[in-house]
Amino acid sequence: MHKKLLFLFFILLSVYDAVAQSTTVHGIVTDETGVGILGASVSVKGTANGTATDVNGMYTLRTTNNAVLNFHSVGYLPQEIARNTRDTINVILLTDSKQLTEVAVTALGIKRSQKSIGYATQQLRGEQLTMTKEQNVIGSLAGKIAGAQVIGSSGASLGGTQKIKLRGINSLSGAGEPLIVLDGTPIAQQHFGGNENGVDLGNISQDINPEDIDKISVLKGPTASALYGLRGQYGVILITTSKGTVGDKNIKVSVRSAYTVDHIINFMPLQNIYGVGNNQTFLTLANGQKYVNGNDESWGPKMDGTPVRMFYSFYPQDAQYGELTPFVPQPDNIKNYFEAGHNFNNGITVTGGGDNSTFRLSYNNTYIKGTMPNTWLRRNNLALNTSLVLSSKLTVGANINYANNSAQRPTQGYQGSFTGAVQWFQRNLDVNRLRNYRYPDGTILNWNVNPNAEGVIVNNKPSDWNNPFFDAFAVLNNDNRNRVFGDVHVTYQLMPGLKLSGFARSDFFTQNATHKEAIGGRLNDGYSVIKYQNTENNYEFLGQYDKRWGDVTFNAIVGANLLTQDLTGTSQATVGGLTSIGNYTIAASVDRPVSTSAITRKQIRSAYAMGSVGFKDTYFIDASIRNDVSSSLPANNNSYWYPSVSGSFVFSELFNWRPLSFGKLRASYAIAGADLIPYQTSQVYLPGLPYTSPTGTITGLVVPDLLRNPNIRPSFANSFELGTDLNFFNNRLGIALTYYNQQNKDQIINLTVSGASGYEQAVVNAGLIENKGVELSLTGQPFKTKLFTWDATFNIARNSSMVKSLYPGINTYQLAVNTYSGVSVFLNSIVGQPFGSLVGQAYLRDAVTGKILLGTDNMPIVETNHNFGSVLPEFTGGFLNNFRIGKVNVGIMIDFQKGGQFFSWSKMLAVKSGQAAETAALNDRGKNVRDPLDEGGGYKITGISQATGQEVTAYVDARTYFRNNIGTRIYEEWLYDASYIRLREVSVGYVFDGELLKNTPFKSAKFALIARNPLMIWQKAPKGLNPAELSSGGAPISWIEKGALQTVRSFGVNLNLAF
Amino acid sequence: MKLLYIYISAILISAALLAGCTKFSDSLIKDPNNATTASGMQLIANAEMALPSLSSSPYGVHYPQYLSNTSFTDNSRYTTVNFSFYPFYTGPLTNLENAINAQLDANQGPVVNQLAVAKILKAYFYWHMTDRWGSLPYSQALQGRANFTPAYDSQQQIYNSLFALLDEANSTIVTTNGNLKNDIVYSGDILKWKKLGNTIHLLMALRLSKVDNEKGKAEFKKALSNGIMTTNSDNLAYPHLNDANNENYWYNSFTQLGRNWFAVSKPLVDYMLPLNDPRLPVFANPNTAGNYVGLEYGKAVPNSSDIDQVSLLGSSLRRQNSPVHLVTYGQALFALAEAAKLGWIEGGDAAAKTNYKLAVENSIAQWTGSTAGTADFLAQENVKYNAVKALEQIATQRWVHLFLHGYEGWAEWRRTGYPTLVAAPGANGDRIPRREGYPTQERANNTTNYNLAVSSFPYGGADDLNTRVWWDKP
Repeated sequence: MHKKLLFLFFILLSVYDAVAQSTTVHGIVTDETGVGILGASVSVKGTANGTATDVNGMYTLRTTNNAVLNFHSVGYLPQEIARNTRDTINVILLTDSKQLTEVAVTALGIKRSQKSIGYATQQLRGEQLTMTKEQNVIGSLAGKIAGAQVIGSSGASLGGTQKIKLRGINSLSGAGEPLIVLDGTPIAQQHFGGNENGVDLGNISQDINPEDIDKISVLKGPTASALYGLRGQYGVILITTSKGTVGDKNIKVSVRSAYTVDHIINFMPLQNIYGVGNNQTFLTLANGQKYVNGNDESWGPKMDGTPVRMFYSFYPQDAQYGELTPFVPQPDNIKNYFEAGHNFNNGITVTGGGDNSTFRLSYNNTYIKGTMPNTWLRRNNLALNTSLVLSSKLTVGANINYANNSAQRPTQGYQGSFTGAVQWFQRNLDVNRLRNYRYPDGTILNWNVNPNAEGVIVNNKPSDWNNPFFDAFAVLNNDNRNRVFGDVHVTYQLMPGLKLSGFARSDFFTQNATHKEAIGGRLNDGYSVIKYQNTENNYEFLGQYDKRWGDVTFNAIVGANLLTQDLTGTSQATVGGLTSIGNYTIAASVDRPVSTSAITRKQIRSAYAMGSVGFKDTYFIDASIRNDVSSSLPANNNSYWYPSVSGSFVFSELFNWRPLSFGKLRASYAIAGADLIPYQTSQVYLPGLPYTSPTGTITGLVVPDLLRNPNIRPSFANSFELGTDLNFFNNRLGIALTYYNQQNKDQIINLTVSGASGYEQAVVNAGLIENKGVELSLTGQPFKTKLFTWDATFNIARNSSMVKSLYPGINTYQLAVNTYSGVSVFLNSIVGQPFGSLVGQAYLRDAVTGKILLGTDNMPIVETNHNFGSVLPEFTGGFLNNFRIGKVNVGIMIDFQKGGQFFSWSKMLAVKSGQAAETAALNDRGKNVRDPLDEGGGYKITGISQATGQEVTAYVDARTYFRNNIGTRIYEEWLYDASYIRLREVSVGYVFDGELLKNTPFKSAKFALIARNPLMIWQKAPKGLNPAELSSGGAPISWIEKGALQTVRSFGVNLNLAF
Repeated sequence: MKLLYIYISAILISAALLAGCTKFSDSLIKDPNNATTASGMQLIANAEMALPSLSSSPYGVHYPQYLSNTSFTDNSRYTTVNFSFYPFYTGPLTNLENAINAQLDANQGPVVNQLAVAKILKAYFYWHMTDRWGSLPYSQALQGRANFTPAYDSQQQIYNSLFALLDEANSTIVTTNGNLKNDIVYSGDILKWKKLGNTIHLLMALRLSKVDNEKGKAEFKKALSNGIMTTNSDNLAYPHLNDANNENYWYNSFTQLGRNWFAVSKPLVDYMLPLNDPRLPVFANPNTAGNYVGLEYGKAVPNSSDIDQVSLLGSSLRRQNSPVHLVTYGQALFALAEAAKLGWIEGGDAAAKTNYKLAVENSIAQWTGSTAGTADFLAQENVKYNAVKALEQIATQRWVHLFLHGYEGWAEWRRTGYPTLVAAPGANGDRIPRREGYPTQERANNTTNYNLAVSSFPYGGADDLNTRVWWDKP
């Protein structure tokens, strides 16, 4: 009540001031570069009369003709200008090196001075994102934001999913991701594609053109994002795009062009001694010739040049039919499959503005020819930002973005696009010999088929592995997406300080994806198609009030938002083959095709308000409240409130200690939330497969495996944070330090339950997960001379999570399971432990010594369901450097992670299949481990005999040990620490200045050499695995690698020209 | 001032109105994509689709050594210890439980008969499951939100509950105008369902021969008097289709996936070949040289060239529409023969002999589609009924009869000990499994009850392959 009265009191004051004035003065407040400053305060000296500038830096104020105006904005030196009867006063404010220069973009796009904010935000400028032309905004944030963990994917996936988590994992399911908001418009962030297996179409934030970004502001916790209510639980990434400037009479044209060449790197070390087979004896045909068959293991004979019949010699169509060729190693048979990729990125931007209008038009085109054969991606981005000042009070504007993608992509994971090559393959197989995968008569050349004793391939259908070139050229994954997002808005300056705005925002896309499977591979020929259409509209109303009375500043907002989401999807796939070869259409399905369709609709109605009071630019306090009503919650209980409060104290204003340029303490508390997808509150039956009997079709219905819940509530995140921002030595050194504690309770999860209940999962409100952490961001300018400057930002964040409770009677939430050869590993959340425990089979160890226990066969004994600890890293961070040496600019971006862990199938299977180098190493007797035991061979194993308790050292058969034991049963061996330090981006640029360009049409030109992923400086996991690129498609947590696409390294050039 | 106040008020009021309304139209609340009601026979039909999985398994088929592996021998060497029973509960059983508890209508046949069919199928699935795992959630299972952590019932309790369930089904079936619609396996013939229920009851009763003779005998006689199968056309055999949506598992494995991974095992071929068993050419294909050669069971290192040397699974059993035999008249006759020999039913050796002969005849007819060669086969010294080794003969011929239905053949092997089989060398401590381990997820999902179940195994032991279930009394 008290607050309301206070609010009215301020309003009354301002109204009183407003009526006391006479004529209007207006103008633009800009910085040195001519860009309008938003939110600069314009006040009349000696009175409480004043206003603030709008988005374009424009202001209008009624004053007496001889008033003296004070112009004041955070980060700039204030100016005092006498009106002297003028009607127009344009002001250029100079940067104040003593002040924090940054203005933070906060919730709902409201720009505020850093000093007034009571919670942590971190800002990035557009050029920090586009340094090396990273295509996905999420990927370009890696290491640049303290407390953001980015899980990348290989460049070979052509825009595969990159995931971002702010402040650890705040949901029991691991699924929560920050909301992305572009110029106020929430951007859909779906992931299309499977999990670790399948085609990864990527997260669709990649439709945002990084070149259009002016600033990114990351609101890390609920305190910053409470104003987003139900969507704010996992933080918000606010993107502001570049705009034109009012009054800028010059039309600026800039052209950018970049090219990189991409190469696959980081090959796993494999052995080159033994070839295909289960044992070291050659197979022989009935005619006595030695031969190799389609086995996919390399436990066979030595590759000693013995003449053998290879796979191609069994095809009568082949030039080498019937020939014997030497059985020799092919050390580069995996490498030889890949090609150089080419990445072209071209764009043009036209920016301008008239007396009462602004516009910015940009176009960008990307073409990538992939490193996997026959893969490519094309993307077009078009963006138009305009605003028009209709009167001194009324502004209208529109931001319209169009993105179009089409691609032909590889398949990742098990049995993906040659991802199985390290897993199951022959070390003697020359991949180039597979390149012509189809003979002129249509016969497919396969390696994974077996001839009979007569040397005839009776069944030319590969059992597990297609010819990889057949996969590349005859098994095609195509997709395309057209997307439009943006807003139209109108702003009305009702009176000085009070502004009303209305927005209609939309994000609309259609996503198509098809899969073609040609005849002749291991699967039936077939075709599948999916189509999604998604429309999200937001209708928003916002009232903003800003006022300054001497030492007191006040601003308030009230708003309302209506969100509507409409998703329709259909998918179809042929079954049992195609009726006609190459006829890729659903109508050609031999049997009844699979066909699904779904409509998903949702609405959220919201209202919110926020008030902020500052005193003497030193003390600030904020409070906000939001109400959300969601259609996906139970109808009788769908309205919830989300409050927040925060404060900051700029203590450096109170004393003058020279080294400290700025010092602030901040604290905040908030509640944000999350709801669930629609239709989870009432039980239904799913259609079963029909059975078409001769007497008619029998239909079935299925009780779903997921039990829905009519009593679900939204989940709530309670977050508290405390922090400080300190700047020293004229802002040469900045420190931002934040501690937070976030309690996420009543999480809506699909709890895995005992299947004996009749259901695999149940929708429940479950438990409490706590995240605590510290974020530190250091910014500095260690060197600053005329010739040489060094700017650096160092981010590091440590987060620890704890699952405090789950569900009555249940202490484990199984997030994911993976099974190979009947052995399962799990990703579980367990009460009393950090989020995401990896659970699987380990060595059974002696309780006293910790040594492994051995059975009577001297093989390790298995401990089932061993808990290996959390999947999450201890800390993550990055180190961003910019060196300027004369006209040369060098940018270096390093990101790093300590801890975290993952299982690797690729490594496990490389060992199981006898391909990995260690399966053919020398033992301490100088013999190959594969040599017979009685000749000194064998793998040396040391442990404690379970039967006798005595320490045992023994030599055991290598194949039995590697293939049948550790490669199948001991997941402890295939668990790797995900720590790494990576040189992620390097850019070396040269700026051509005026003299050089004097006789050219160019105003400026910048040329740069760029490198993405040039070097993994250090990683704990073995070579051949990339702990920084574990992204597993749409799966929320990346914990197992099952055949990741390999790392891509890119080198190239980047040219920027301005006219 | 007044104007501003009005503005502010208008904003606040309209915002409050927008958010304040908590009603949404049905199109936003109701799931437009799925059915909200189901008929009993639709739920039952979908549960029937899980029937082939009781037999078509790349694990069960190895325990009684019907098939050996040519390429990857892990399964025949018992590498997998833990098996999930969840798919049974979340698949057919929850469907059947929904049908049993729903308000059914008579549009697809008498409600009592729909309920009886659901109960017979429920009993059949549970019977299969308890024989594999022993104690299982039963009385507290399938209750959804009411119990996410159901306790385990002992196998003895489960058998007693299933006997009662089958009695209930038998006694409630109406046979006049009793047929049902939308039924995959019997086209709605309620008489066949009735016989099936009682035959399952009979076979379950015989399972108690080692552990509880009296109970077994009583249940056996009751089931027999209620009316069991009387011809091969009463058999429960899942009719697969020439349709990829409903195809035979072995077709998928051999033909679709191109995996010649399964050959008939040496012990089986070595037994059948000298007797010139007319079923052998159905079970097995000749090798490339034209001979029937069984593949050594459970090799430690497979040999790729074996494929040419041995007999792969018979082509007629791996067509796309090859039926899967589950509960058969033949097995019922073997049960009658054994029961007569045990003295559970009247007639002694004479009745045992008659039923044994009938059993073999019907088995050959079932597998080969004709009776050719039956008389010659039965006339052989080693096949001809011999009162001294009748139990071994019955069990061994039943083993042959149950070919490919690995889990059932394995259960009968565990009960009778015939034929004598040797474990895969060096695998599982040279022991043939006697049970399958619980799903590893149960340890986490249902910890207390899981631990209680393991600590209450009737003959001790761990949650592994070697612990005996209740009826498998040592």
